[in-house]
Amino acid sequence: MKDEREIVTVTIDGIEMQAPKGELLIRVAQDNGTFVPRFCWHERMKPVGMCRMCLVEVEGVRGMPPACTTTVTDGMVVNTKSETVKKAQDGVLEFLLINHPLDCPVCDRGGECPLQDQTLAFGPGESRYVEEKRHFEKPIPISELVLLDRERCIQCSRCTRFADEIAGDRLIDFGERGGEMQVITYPDDPFTSYFSGNTVQVCPVGALTAKPYRFRARPWDLSAVETSCQTCSVGCRGSLESSSNELVRLLGVDVEPVNHGWLCDKGRFGYEATHAEDRARNPMIRRDGSLVECSWPEALDAAAEGIKRSLDLHGPASIAMVGGSRGTNEDAYLWARLAKGVIGTDNVDAQIGDGLPAEVVLGLPGATIPDLDEAAAIILLGPDLKEELPVLYLRVRRACVDLGVPILDVSAVDHGLSKYASATIRHLPGEQASAAREISAALAPLIDGRSGPIVVVLGRSDVATSAEPTVAAAAIIREIPNTRFLVALRRGNVRGAIDLGLAPGFLPGRVTLDAGAERFVAAWGSAPAEVGLDTAGIFNAASEGRIGALILVGADIVNDFPDRRLVRAGVGGAGFVICINATVTEAAADADVFLPATVWGEKAGTTTNLEGRISRVGRKIAAVGNPMPDFRIASELALRLGTDFDLETVEEIQDEIARVAPAFAEVDAQLLKRARDGVVLPLALHRDELVLEPRRIPVIDFSWEPIKPEGPGEFEVVEFEVVEPVLEADASDEAAAEEESALPVDISNGAGLPDAQLFVWSAQHAAQPTPGRDNYALRLSAGRSLYDNGRTVASTPALRALIPAQTLRVNPSEISRVGVADGESVRVSTARGSLVLSLTGDANVPAGVAVMPFNIGETGVGDLVDVSLVVTDLRLETLR
Amino acid sequence: MARFSGFGVTFKQMFKPRITGFYPKEKREKPERFHGRHVLNRYEDGMEKCIGCELCAGVCPAKCIYVRGADNSPDSPVSPGERFGFVYEINYLRCIHCDMCVEACPTEAITETKLFEFSFANRADAIYTKEELLVDDEGRAKRQPWELWLGGEDDKTSAWMRATSSSGDADYEGRVNWSGELGFGVREPEQGQSL
Amino acid sequence: MGMEQVGHNFMTGQLEDVVQWARRRSMWPAAFGLACCAIEMMAAGGAHYDLGRYGMEVFRASPRQADLMIVAGRVSQKMAPVLRQVYDQMVEPKWVISMGVCASSGGMFNNYAIVQGVDQIVPVDVYIPGCPPGPETLMHGILNLHEMVRTGEIMKRRSANNGGAGIEIANVLPADSAPTPVTVSIADHSSSTLAV
Repeated sequence: MKDEREIVTVTIDGIEMQAPKGELLIRVAQDNGTFVPRFCWHERMKPVGMCRMCLVEVEGVRGMPPACTTTVTDGMVVNTKSETVKKAQDGVLEFLLINHPLDCPVCDRGGECPLQDQTLAFGPGESRYVEEKRHFEKPIPISELVLLDRERCIQCSRCTRFADEIAGDRLIDFGERGGEMQVITYPDDPFTSYFSGNTVQVCPVGALTAKPYRFRARPWDLSAVETSCQTCSVGCRGSLESSSNELVRLLGVDVEPVNHGWLCDKGRFGYEATHAEDRARNPMIRRDGSLVECSWPEALDAAAEGIKRSLDLHGPASIAMVGGSRGTNEDAYLWARLAKGVIGTDNVDAQIGDGLPAEVVLGLPGATIPDLDEAAAIILLGPDLKEELPVLYLRVRRACVDLGVPILDVSAVDHGLSKYASATIRHLPGEQASAAREISAALAPLIDGRSGPIVVVLGRSDVATSAEPTVAAAAIIREIPNTRFLVALRRGNVRGAIDLGLAPGFLPGRVTLDAGAERFVAAWGSAPAEVGLDTAGIFNAASEGRIGALILVGADIVNDFPDRRLVRAGVGGAGFVICINATVTEAAADADVFLPATVWGEKAGTTTNLEGRISRVGRKIAAVGNPMPDFRIASELALRLGTDFDLETVEEIQDEIARVAPAFAEVDAQLLKRARDGVVLPLALHRDELVLEPRRIPVIDFSWEPIKPEGPGEFEVVEFEVVEPVLEADASDEAAAEEESALPVDISNGAGLPDAQLFVWSAQHAAQPTPGRDNYALRLSAGRSLYDNGRTVASTPALRALIPAQTLRVNPSEISRVGVADGESVRVSTARGSLVLSLTGDANVPAGVAVMPFNIGETGVGDLVDVSLVVTDLRLETLR
Repeated sequence: MARFSGFGVTFKQMFKPRITGFYPKEKREKPERFHGRHVLNRYEDGMEKCIGCELCAGVCPAKCIYVRGADNSPDSPVSPGERFGFVYEINYLRCIHCDMCVEACPTEAITETKLFEFSFANRADAIYTKEELLVDDEGRAKRQPWELWLGGEDDKTSAWMRATSSSGDADYEGRVNWSGELGFGVREPEQGQSL
Repeated sequence: MGMEQVGHNFMTGQLEDVVQWARRRSMWPAAFGLACCAIEMMAAGGAHYDLGRYGMEVFRASPRQADLMIVAGRVSQKMAPVLRQVYDQMVEPKWVISMGVCASSGGMFNNYAIVQGVDQIVPVDVYIPGCPPGPETLMHGILNLHEMVRTGEIMKRRSANNGGAGIEIANVLPADSAPTPVTVSIADHSSSTLAV
């Protein structure tokens, strides 16, 4: 956002500095290299002035104002280091330490504690307090993941303010007064926030500790690497830390365009899945009916042999590849090149039947997450962001609550953001298209003269309804002028996989088979000519025996595909199944060859988030056993099929992607290394968003900064020196501009390769009418819950307990209509199958709709959905 | 005659008292501050002093200490407080007996005995586990069969004089900087200090 | 030496004891003092500790005349081949003591310049901790080794893992020699038989 505030001059400790009028003194001082100690003030929260640590002297002002609540005015003269200030700081720290126990050796924060550091830097050295300190029972769990030690709390209110201001889950607050003041939860309402882990990170002492990290390591034996979370497709930046080759925590890193330093609990604690007991250590092949461990050459030979046989007998169209949205971009590119350039099949789909068609993902005008802040309005037509993309939920919530952007909620049922919506359009699941026709009328009063784009968060709101209605709705919304779309797909790198050609009909770099044919034949030697099948099509073909070799790349296909029966039939019907995964999943158990792959944290590369922002993923630990990164497996298979990719390192692959894939033009290894907040594709449209200077850290030796300038050796720091804070903002801009112009342009758009036009969706879509619902049936809406049976949660001990119980939520009137009690089990039948489920009444669910989260429990939505139907209608029967 | 003067030296030495020690049967006396094999101390009630804080591991210049902490179960606590040393290992093929760990320890859990006579035929044997390092019920070091213990080498395992006080002042109020009431065989203050 | 092919009976059992006694009582160290540990090693040879009590006072400068190598001090990467060569030049049976933490594991010199454990280069029989180990600790290690030589424990260990100096015996034999199993005599008991 452009800062148009008036510039004033202030003098801090004798140094004149310019700052926008009305900016907080503490921030102005910090941005200009003067650190004012603080506990309660946090960059992303509103100032409260609770801790009194940032008291400064301002000439002409009586007393000492706290720097965190004082705004700068022209000609202000501030002293942060005078004797008086020193005395005040000594006093505040001595007061804080009266009741703060000195149990630093056992405290998780000890070693990276703001209180420790600032006591050392600004404190009195010795305490005069010899009396007994206050005592509380400790630690007490305030949620499943967070423990509270009330003795250590210094009442800065960072955690309560986070829960209230940022997360919107006001479930913790202060109780009592004076020395007894403490953080409390409400008796009937535990702190069940999806963002509770952030309170641990913002706590300036060790009062809040995270259960998974508690006592696992000390700060000084951690090593960190900056990385992007791949749990969902928001791609939050974080600092991944390990001790003794074991991941122990992920801390959020403050990145302006993406996550503002926040993480959801699933992303924060999901690293534990890396160390799951059931990780596969060695490749396996099927011998005498069962999978047995073998060597890599043996397994790769067997896999290549299987592909070759199918290729020779039935041609390339008999080979299909499903999955690939959990890896890095480099993995995705080489899988795409293996499938499309070497094998020659277009039956490739990274989405597992629960997303949107690739032409919608790639062909709509894209929005970025920061666009939300400047939007005229936000239209939500997609999944429950709180459950699927939690940090995007925080960003939308902030845009709405803090920046006043109106939200138009178009959905079948209430969700996490419904209460912030300025206008709501409710529709039956599957009738998105007719709801979309009402949007422009509903939008007009909301916009009300606001400028900026209209950002549409578009996605599949549930897996029980096919993508068809959403696509139709997108085609209608597309007609509204100045709309931009954030396509809310869920899996970690699904956007990167689609960008890099792991979708039927597309080649790497957002070009169609037709448009890219010439270019990729030149680059690869060959490219498929005919559009292939998507995942559902592949499984249909496989179940009919038309797939000779099925390659499953890193997906728990049986649990993730909406239609279990079809998957099982497909995997069973495929001639030869190769499974590349970290664990032996249900489908993998039926595979002919199983190849173990490394996972997030064990491999370096890049990932693309839902806006199309490419950022780097760091490797922190070495995998246990013999798994290989996907890109190497793909290269090895290609080699055995007669093509030597000759790409040994991640950087070489990045350079090849930049050379070959049109949308990735100029985005080579060097740029990726330098771009601090990632690169948004295509670079030509988002060049002004590049930030090439290193992250500015006010004082470099803060022990609590998650990313230290000298820290992650292999990461960007090698290239840069820490830039001294520059006085005038203009100078740094100039430097950035200079660096930008120095970008290598000669490698752009593939030296000597034919041009290919980026795909734009024509939005010509004939919406098919959604079948009507008969009065006795309920229409199923199967969204997701954050904690489900997916691999990340199921393999993470801390999160596994949080998976909700399976229940079918309906309007209370439906319960009475069926004639059962709330919570009683009923038989639920669809065209596909029937299940016994407990029924819960929920007034927020409209009549005629049944809500059940996907992938929870042994059996569930997957057994009820038939993907060939547009919607899933179900009937309830009593068991009596 | 010079060629015989050497014999003269030998001859003279014949009548001097022998200075050779008979090692396996007796040892030379060690200085009071000698750094030998470590022990992990207990409180008098049998609770372990180690709280698994890893300060010793952090300060160790040879990185020979591996510690992992864990939550004390409230029913059967291993140490007072929330946390205890769940794993404690010292690799004696890396330890240089600098005693930085002893200085760093906030609870005087790790101290050193005077025992220095031990060797191993196998690398793995050189890693002492917590079981081996912990003192017995009386507070004395466990005598491992491969170590040669003679006399009172476990008499004074309590804290030694710290090089500096916690505030950095060696003469801090004239007091020795260890608690003086915990552990086995409390040492006398030195150099005019008082307890 | 040469005892390995003799089957065990009343006579040879006693003879072996005599040989082991002799080996133990005249173990001559090769001087391989590399650093501060060597000072302690020298002290162990001096009057106060007197390694002569074990028949070990002669530190030989020539590896041909020594059967025990005491690696006393940190072994730099440049010294490693020299150390190995000296070891190779020693005659069988031969033993190695890794004295001090630097020789045993690199100690506090966990860096590119120092070999992280001399057992990466030569087979080590006894590791002595300490930085440096005192003469008495060194003698503990020596007595430990003596005991293992006396009981034949070291020989058992070597034959169990086919250890020793790793001499390639196959190259020594003529190419057309009869394919009878040949016992490799690297001071071990008849178990490491190679079909040539």
